[in-house]
Amino acid sequence: MSAADAVTVEAGAPARGWVLPLIAAALVAGMLGYLQTAELDSIEARLLATDEILARTVEHVRLVAVSTIAVIAIAVPLGVLLTRRRARLLAPPVLGLANAGQAIPSIGVLVLLAILFDVGFTMAVIALVAYAVLPVLRNTMVGLRQVDRSVIDAGRGMGMSPLQVLMKIELPLAVPVMIAGIRVALILNVGVATLATYTNAGGLGSLIESGIVFNRMPVLMTGSVLTIALALMVDWLAGLAERFLRPRGL
Amino acid sequence: MTDPTASPPPPEVMIRLEGLVKRYPGQSTDAVSKLSMDIRRGEFVVFVGPSGCGKTTTLRMINRLVEPTSGRIWIDGEDVTDVDPDRLRRRIGYVIQQIGLIPHMTIAQNIGLVPKLLGWDKARIRDRVDELLELVGLDPAAFRDRYPKQLSGGQQQRVGVARALAGDPPVMLMDEPFGAIDPITRDRLQEEFLKLQERIRKTIVFVTHDIDEALKLGDRIAIFGEGSRLEQFATPLEILSEPANDYVRSFVGAGTGIRRLGLLRIADIPGGAPEPAGRGAVRLTEDQTVHAALEEMLQAGADEVVVASADGRGERSLTMRDLLLAAARAKGEAR
Ligand SMILES: Nc1ncnc2c1ncn2[C@@H]1O[C@H](COP(=O)(O)OP(=O)(O)O)[C@@H](O)[C@H]1O
Ligand SMILES: [Mg+2]
Repeated sequence: MSAADAVTVEAGAPARGWVLPLIAAALVAGMLGYLQTAELDSIEARLLATDEILARTVEHVRLVAVSTIAVIAIAVPLGVLLTRRRARLLAPPVLGLANAGQAIPSIGVLVLLAILFDVGFTMAVIALVAYAVLPVLRNTMVGLRQVDRSVIDAGRGMGMSPLQVLMKIELPLAVPVMIAGIRVALILNVGVATLATYTNAGGLGSLIESGIVFNRMPVLMTGSVLTIALALMVDWLAGLAERFLRPRGL
Repeated sequence: MTDPTASPPPPEVMIRLEGLVKRYPGQSTDAVSKLSMDIRRGEFVVFVGPSGCGKTTTLRMINRLVEPTSGRIWIDGEDVTDVDPDRLRRRIGYVIQQIGLIPHMTIAQNIGLVPKLLGWDKARIRDRVDELLELVGLDPAAFRDRYPKQLSGGQQQRVGVARALAGDPPVMLMDEPFGAIDPITRDRLQEEFLKLQERIRKTIVFVTHDIDEALKLGDRIAIFGEGSRLEQFATPLEILSEPANDYVRSFVGAGTGIRRLGLLRIADIPGGAPEPAGRGAVRLTEDQTVHAALEEMLQAGADEVVVASADGRGERSLTMRDLLLAAARAKGEAR
């Protein structure tokens, strides 16, 4: 695996830094403006009440936040483990599994989980995690492997323990590539979380679904626009994190 | 694998290698085979030999970055073959060709790494960092807070040397430290490092594949052949005047007579007449090389050199013949 395998989202140049949140704000403002003026029937009015929209949005953000944290908690230690020399034989099968997680459609996973176990928040999170582990795992491994061997060698040569070398040298130097992977996972999760509605976990996807089921365009539009705006905001924030968490001196 | 019969080397020996062998897994030959040598306290020993002859492997066995297949290593009277390698390495300076400064740490943090591992307090580390930057010729105020990539290659290797010295280790291991540095800067670093060594008197094991670097720096030079065979382990002068075999002769190359002149100090040349200065003779000091003296005399068309002793008192004069005859006879003793 080489650096070329790492997934990246091109970092926005500073001048472009405000474009994403401005587009997101414009989308939301336009949508709210439309809802103010449009004549809504009773179903639309119920589904698009401010409380409802807020609740769906909060559910969505929670799904994304919890699943991304779970992805990090799983993929980063796993990536560290798989790049240790003694565990290098484990890397291909585990990467294969993570690849499968992303190749299998999430909707299939969700339905299967719902049938086999239960519906609800946890099942949605499991499906999201299965889908988004790969980019973080792969980028953690690539990020760790691209650390200059001579820097590690110098660290060991000075008497740093393997753990100290990992914490003080390898992980900090891998952070930029790791964060790029986490950013991809976040964006994937914002999109895939719209499917959580099929396991009764709510989110903006339930607006979209209701819009389709009841054939109500304004509801469908609201769900879509909010999902897009959320994706843009999340990407923007992740880009900021990428810039501020990059170690100095690189 | 403790051998109860092994007795520690005498106190003047800082590093003893005893039948050291390394065979890498999956290889059919030894990278280092049955190597034994003693390195004295405060000695500057240079390992030289062709690429792949096992110099790096030997060096890395001394700080146990490579575990020996068999044999023993003694450092400062202690058998370190089985001690905790991390603790051992904090007592041994290590400098590599790639330098390996940690890019996201400042120069001060890089130099302070080993002292921090040794548990020094902050103030002591800060003082030590500044002292070391001064020692390697970098202004602490200007360099302390910079990051490695803001330094030139030569400056980075000065920091590399400072970092290796930080814990005041008695032993320094240096693997082609100036190998990737441009020739002019390399010359300067070599000169400065020799001066530095005169002050700090560490026991140094220095690897190079460049025989001229070895002759210039080493108190003693270990010339390796294939499979880490130790062909000769002697002073630069001995190697130039009495090469042990054809391998050494061809490795050292042509012009050994002339090259010896660069190793002899005027102080090594006995005799000469007390002579008042005058008659356009060249004037030099005792610590300069015979090579430099002859060069000056040829340039000036003079047959005589007036030499002032290093402390500025006393003078003597030597003729070109004095210098050449003495140089031709000089064997053995290092500077
Ligand atoms: N990690 C390793 N695994 C296998 N063989 C190695 C390893 N490191 C060095 N060698 C082999 O050991 C021999 C000595 O290498 P080295 O000590 O690096 O030589 P030098 O520093 O004199 O160029 C070479 O033949 C090299 O290929
Ligand atoms: Mg080498």
